[in-house]
Amino acid sequence: MSLAAEAFVSQMAGKIPFIHVGNQVVSELGPIVQFTKAKGHSLSDSLDDVQRAEMKAYMELVYNMLLTSELFVQWCDDTTAGEISRPRYSSPYSWPLGNILAYQKQWEVRRKMNAIGWGRKTLEQVYEDVNQCCQALSQRLGTQPYFFNKQATELDALVFGHLFTILTTRLTSTELAERVKSYSNLLSFCRRIEQTYFEDKKLMKD
Amino acid sequence: MAAPDELFCWEGDWGLPSVSTDCLVVLAYAQFAGAPLKLRKICNPWRSPGGSLPALRTNQNETLSRPSDIIIHLRKQKFNADFDLSAKEGADSLAFISLLEEKLMPALIYTFWVEPKNFVEVTRRWYAEHMMFPLNFFLPGRMQSRQLEKLRLLRGDEHLEAGEELEKELYRDAAECMNLLSQRLGSHKFFFGDSPSSLDAYVFGHLAPILKCRLPNGKLQQHLKSLDNLSDFCSNILLLYFPRDGREPPAQKAAAAPEAGDFDNVPNKRRKQFLSALFALGAMLSYALLTGMVSIQHGHQEALEEPPDPEHIGAHEEEGDG
Repeated sequence: MSLAAEAFVSQMAGKIPFIHVGNQVVSELGPIVQFTKAKGHSLSDSLDDVQRAEMKAYMELVYNMLLTSELFVQWCDDTTAGEISRPRYSSPYSWPLGNILAYQKQWEVRRKMNAIGWGRKTLEQVYEDVNQCCQALSQRLGTQPYFFNKQATELDALVFGHLFTILTTRLTSTELAERVKSYSNLLSFCRRIEQTYFEDKKLMKD
Repeated sequence: MAAPDELFCWEGDWGLPSVSTDCLVVLAYAQFAGAPLKLRKICNPWRSPGGSLPALRTNQNETLSRPSDIIIHLRKQKFNADFDLSAKEGADSLAFISLLEEKLMPALIYTFWVEPKNFVEVTRRWYAEHMMFPLNFFLPGRMQSRQLEKLRLLRGDEHLEAGEELEKELYRDAAECMNLLSQRLGSHKFFFGDSPSSLDAYVFGHLAPILKCRLPNGKLQQHLKSLDNLSDFCSNILLLYFPRDGREPPAQKAAAAPEAGDFDNVPNKRRKQFLSALFALGAMLSYALLTGMVSIQHGHQEALEEPPDPEHIGAHEEEGDG
């Protein structure tokens, strides 16, 4: 199973992504990559040292900016939190447990945002950060089919997972998706991965 | 020309212009971009306009605290150290800065603020010695709990405590980050070409404290020193852009050289002594006045230590009521 599909499946699973192999459960992208590497499947072996350093750095960029922005938009924006995130988070539980857990999660995310200095950011500033991150990714991708050489790596999987989530998750405003769509090479990158690896499933709606 | 912006930052030590990573980042960037800033090195975050350090007070009386905000502000004022970077290099900068913040910063927080030996023997002592009374009693402790909370939130673990496992994990990530930076730097002088950029400022800000500060648990420093190109990178920047601060303080731990090492502290110590003496004198005087050992005559004050006299007590009480 290609790593892109692994990452995609685990991102769409929603919470902590994990794979279940035999009687082992490995969660989150980093350990999953290590696990598959130990099994002899690795996508980044052909990269040289400098490229591997760049790949790790860009992965951190995605974690640092994209993931944090997604969390911010979901939980620190009152309209989105109230209309979408809290109801979705509390849906598996009955009232009032669901409500309590949802508010607890929101409070936890807000505390984290304060700790890393994002507490006082406005939604506009966060959209601008997403824009910057997409610009960096877009420039790195350029006109190549994948980020490194002609072959997909962990970075491609991670970027695909996040961008796909942003493009397809319904939020109160489409601004986030619009910002991503404004980079045509990122959009065609996502479409290409979808068509190459998920051709039997129609996932992206126009 | 408008007055320069004011930058408040922590004082320096160990051969560095400032002991705080964020302050170092801003100072380095300002030097690289040639931004004229009015520097205020203080040891009291309450005196800073934003309540924390670093803080930049702009001409429009706006206060900026985050290093990235300060750098963006300086860029808008045309002090841009990234002017010569290509689009791809700019993107790489962003990526490597994220790498620093995700992988190296937690280890930095741990090694300076959470690791028990380091905190007690170096960090807390430094801040307690450099802060004024009475902040030195409670502020270092408060700073530590804030840093611990930040580390907990970054790692997503509410019950994080100092320990060997955590230390191993964090240091492993930090070592990997340093290796990656070393690989990217190669044998170049700076990360992008011959002139430094914002990425150089960030790397310098994070690595310089590790390189220069002698800690009891110095595993990070050992690893950094094994990466020659990174150590040379930091030393180079100190030499070129901070020549005055780059001098090692003579015998920083020896009590035999208090003049040179404590030069900045002498006014504070004298002031403290003077204030304590004044306080003691005032306490004794008020006690003497209240118990009637001293009587105040009209016009002038006599500080006489006479044993309490019934007549005098009576006279003093009348005057006290009047």
